[in-house]
Amino acid sequence: MTETYLAQPDLGFIAQIRGLGGDTLKKCYQCATCSVACPISPENSPFPRKEMIAASWGLKDRLIKSGDIWLCHNCGDCTDLCPRGAAPGDVLAAVRAAAITEYSQPKALGRAVNDPKKLPWLLGIPAIWFAVFAYITMAHGDVMTKIFNVFGIAWSHAHEGVIAQANFFSTWFVDLTFVPLAGAVVIIFLLSLRRFITDIHENAVMEGKTEKKNIDYKALLQAVVKTIPTILRHEKFNECETNKERATPHMMVLFSFIGLAIVTGVFFIVLYVFQTPGPYSQLNPVKWLGNIAGVALVIGSGLMIKSRLDNKDQISTYKDWYILGVVFALGLTGMLTQMARLAHLEWTSYILYYVHLIAIFNLFAFLPFSKMAHLVYRTTAMAYAEFSNRK
Amino acid sequence: MDKKYGVYICTGCGIGDTLDMEDLVEIPEEEGLNCTTHPFLCSKEGVALIQKDVDDGKVNAMVIGACSRRVNFDVFRFDNCIVERVNLREGVVWPHSRETYPALTEEQKEDEEHFDRIQMKAEDYIRMGMIRLEKVKLPTPYKPESFSKKILVLGGGVTGMAAALDAAKTGYDVTIVEKTDALGGYAAKLRSQMPVSAPFETLQAPVADKLIQEIQGYPNIDVRTGCEVARIAGQPGEFTVTFKKPGERIPFDVPFPLPEEMLVDENGKELDPEAAHAKFLEYNEGRKDILNLDPDGELYGAVILAAGWRPADLSKMGIDHLGFDLPDVVSNHEFEQIAAKGKIVRPSDGKPAKNVVFIQSPGKEDDDADFDYCGSVTSQVALKQARYVTEDYTDGKAYVIYQHMRTPGLQEYFYKSMQQEDGVFMTKGAVTEVKSQGNGLEVTAVNTLLGENLALKADMVVVAGGMVPVTKDDPVVNLAYRQGPGFRDNDIFGQYADSNYICFPYETQRTGIYAAGAIRRAMTIEESIEDAAGAALKAIQCVESANRGMSVHPRSGDMTFPEFFFQRCTQCKRCTVECPFGALDDDAKGTPKANPTRCRRCGTCMGACPERIISFADYTIDSIGSQVKAIKVPSEDDFDEPPFRFLALICENDAFPALDMVGLNRIDYSPDVRFIPVRCLGSVNTIWIKDALAQGMDGVILIGCKHGDDYQCHFVKGSELAEVRVKKIGDALSSLALEEERVAFVEVAIDEYDKLPKIINEFVEEVDALGPNPFKGF
Repeated sequence: MTETYLAQPDLGFIAQIRGLGGDTLKKCYQCATCSVACPISPENSPFPRKEMIAASWGLKDRLIKSGDIWLCHNCGDCTDLCPRGAAPGDVLAAVRAAAITEYSQPKALGRAVNDPKKLPWLLGIPAIWFAVFAYITMAHGDVMTKIFNVFGIAWSHAHEGVIAQANFFSTWFVDLTFVPLAGAVVIIFLLSLRRFITDIHENAVMEGKTEKKNIDYKALLQAVVKTIPTILRHEKFNECETNKERATPHMMVLFSFIGLAIVTGVFFIVLYVFQTPGPYSQLNPVKWLGNIAGVALVIGSGLMIKSRLDNKDQISTYKDWYILGVVFALGLTGMLTQMARLAHLEWTSYILYYVHLIAIFNLFAFLPFSKMAHLVYRTTAMAYAEFSNRK
Repeated sequence: MDKKYGVYICTGCGIGDTLDMEDLVEIPEEEGLNCTTHPFLCSKEGVALIQKDVDDGKVNAMVIGACSRRVNFDVFRFDNCIVERVNLREGVVWPHSRETYPALTEEQKEDEEHFDRIQMKAEDYIRMGMIRLEKVKLPTPYKPESFSKKILVLGGGVTGMAAALDAAKTGYDVTIVEKTDALGGYAAKLRSQMPVSAPFETLQAPVADKLIQEIQGYPNIDVRTGCEVARIAGQPGEFTVTFKKPGERIPFDVPFPLPEEMLVDENGKELDPEAAHAKFLEYNEGRKDILNLDPDGELYGAVILAAGWRPADLSKMGIDHLGFDLPDVVSNHEFEQIAAKGKIVRPSDGKPAKNVVFIQSPGKEDDDADFDYCGSVTSQVALKQARYVTEDYTDGKAYVIYQHMRTPGLQEYFYKSMQQEDGVFMTKGAVTEVKSQGNGLEVTAVNTLLGENLALKADMVVVAGGMVPVTKDDPVVNLAYRQGPGFRDNDIFGQYADSNYICFPYETQRTGIYAAGAIRRAMTIEESIEDAAGAALKAIQCVESANRGMSVHPRSGDMTFPEFFFQRCTQCKRCTVECPFGALDDDAKGTPKANPTRCRRCGTCMGACPERIISFADYTIDSIGSQVKAIKVPSEDDFDEPPFRFLALICENDAFPALDMVGLNRIDYSPDVRFIPVRCLGSVNTIWIKDALAQGMDGVILIGCKHGDDYQCHFVKGSELAEVRVKKIGDALSSLALEEERVAFVEVAIDEYDKLPKIINEFVEEVDALGPNPFKGF
């Protein structure tokens, strides 16, 4: 605490936070009502009072390196009670978006995800990509069969005589797109996390939020394990007052993603290990899980959209609508694709599937850059708080 | 005036139910006075009844025994009559009920054991009222020989100009005297001023030019620049003013009192009065005595003092840790000058100053005080100047480090709008050091809102200096008053020209001189303009009251004034010295010269005079003394165990209303105390206390306003002087073998009515413990 901190306000950062929905950052007069109101703020060095002055001073280094910004669940209690009309919840949300952009390389991609002008590119590139491969699948199946036969691998995973997405877009192409993409995402996250963990620890030491001197990665990993049930049960989320009803849709979306991840994993293994392609019968338990998860995803993300439309107090910016749009579109097109297929509307099903693929691409490829990255950063920050004994 | 007496007693509001009216009426009737009772005296019929007696020539001096004189004063007003209100309601029947003091039976009335304490109090009050009527006169107003309604404004800044315009618009002739060569004052030298209208968010051009132009449109405003006041002699309504060029030495420069260090000889011993006077004459050689009127002087009715302020000299503030010797560390005043010239540049090298730190408090860690003479204006100036930085440079950054950020009233919007500026950064904090660092400066601060020791890089540092009232350096008004050319005891106001700005804004300790603007306290331009209007109205009230021979304030409309029986004056000068308002000027012999329009009619001189030669038409040593003597003091001849009797001399400004509130709230206290309201405790002559004790009363209590630095005394010094006099009387009492405790002095604020019964009862109990006054019955 006795070290002197050279404050270097960054006017660009202030503008960035304003643009990301934190335009009330300068209204704070430091009464700390927010820190008192916050149900999940720790007692030692509570947020978001100190974050608010750092934001109004444009102290980028202090904010994006702070683990505390991730402990906030944007429940809105602080915003609700602020006597000056500032919205600390939204300011922290904006700061988190800025932090994601800062940590996830390449930064240009991060900026693009938060820039509505770049949306045509984000949608267009996968659209062209998938169109090209759909064309190859449909028009040049015989060529592909020959090429695959050279390696002794079956090209088509489609059943004869049924409508199958594989007829439209080869399963091979799906996995050749998404498996490397998933790898890249993991690498990006790992690289980001290394910097992120170092930074939040350094910040916690500087601000006296922890007594730990060094990071013990093993203990941190144990903390992650310990934190996961808290996240799954939405314990922190449920402590909020103002936006309490947001916890349920969020939980639905989270669990549906988990369900869909299991389904995708099972499908992948069955396809490549047991050589049994889809589509599965509607009686198959895996199918049940997929359908339940799909419905939950549509309803959950739909409720989230509705709540943002209804709630005029909470600021919703492009970054929020983008990710909600992607998730909702993904869920909806997924379900509709299946329904069209069962209704024997072959081309309708294919077109919906095409849109579905674009949505999945947006979710996956931009995962480290979009708001969705909170999945990783918040989990890490919560685990770090657990590890560092933040109370 | 041939007095025709009458007594009217109201039996309403519980008076008739509580008191034995037959016995009460007997009091005046025994004296041969006609006494009328009425169940509802303040009703139309009741008042008509009195009016008829007045019209028929039956009555012109009357006792009205009813409610307190603080109510229905407009109802019981009869022209050319002396009206004495006897407070039977708030003073007798409301605080003391029959439940506590049961009425006597016929047998009890006859014995020597029982007495009716409520009835006794009421009867005493009627007696006291009757004797007062005998002793007082109707006042004849004092009118000065020559008279002027012109208003003199000292200072040509925003306040002075606004005051002049306000007075001129109502038709008065005004003269503005400005020391420098142009009107405008400090406001003319600003780049921008703080917002003065909704939405209070943007800076605006200073109003000085507009006011200067407006003044040109008023032929009844006479502007004199390059001019100052050598002396103001005389009194409100007929001030004789001598003007001169600044710095000039003329015979009518006002004589100055000797500075303290000259009042002692080489050995540090105090000079005797004669030696001091010789030294005084030597010190003021070439200057005419205050009683010499300048034959070429100009006549004015009242003066508005709007001489304003000067920037504090920060080099003498002991703030070395703020690097005040570095060229790029400047005061807010110097920063304003730089800003007025154009873009903000550094004084050292003329390069743009894009990072500016504003320091509001000098305190380091252990002291959160602001600089002397700082206040909300300094806070707002820092915000304004911070905006200059962001105005001049899009990437400009202004930091404000404050201990107190004061933006009262609608200026809160200004604060909010400044907060919204991306380039403005504020924090509470204690600045520990400013030092040179590379090509710029480094500022370090602790205890900031950012949580740790903070360092900032700056191109320039601005230190917030205060606004020092010019009355700190100079009397400015240069009054030809015996008490000196300036205001007295201004040190308790930090040298601001003020007397009691909560109760009586604008009023200084000199009647007819009204202060406005930054000379009164640090003010923004907006506040100064508003203040100017107040002072202008006060000046108008003054000339219009002096014109009619009325007191201006706080006894507005009072037409009495002190009269002296000079044959018996011993020229002791106590009246001249003790007058809180410097109303009296003594001549070379020490004979006081009264200046009635300077007087506020408090009677402090009357209380001071050892010869008791000072009186007012309706308020004299004798009138109060006779009331004291009219109180019946029961002795053992009357009763086996006679009740004690106490006198309370109570200040009519705050303590008496508080006592009325006690009555209004039906709170009981000892009914053995007789209250006489006085104009001010300062007017209490100790003879009254001696008389009371001499006739066997057991104790005397003086109840007045709080004094000291936060005094509430309407007449500034009255209660303080009274306490000194009461202390002195103690010695005289012990020589008579009377205990000092029999005379007490207490301070009560107007809102402390709930404490008053306890104060009274405790005094009564204390005297009870001493036993009865041994002089009783003599």
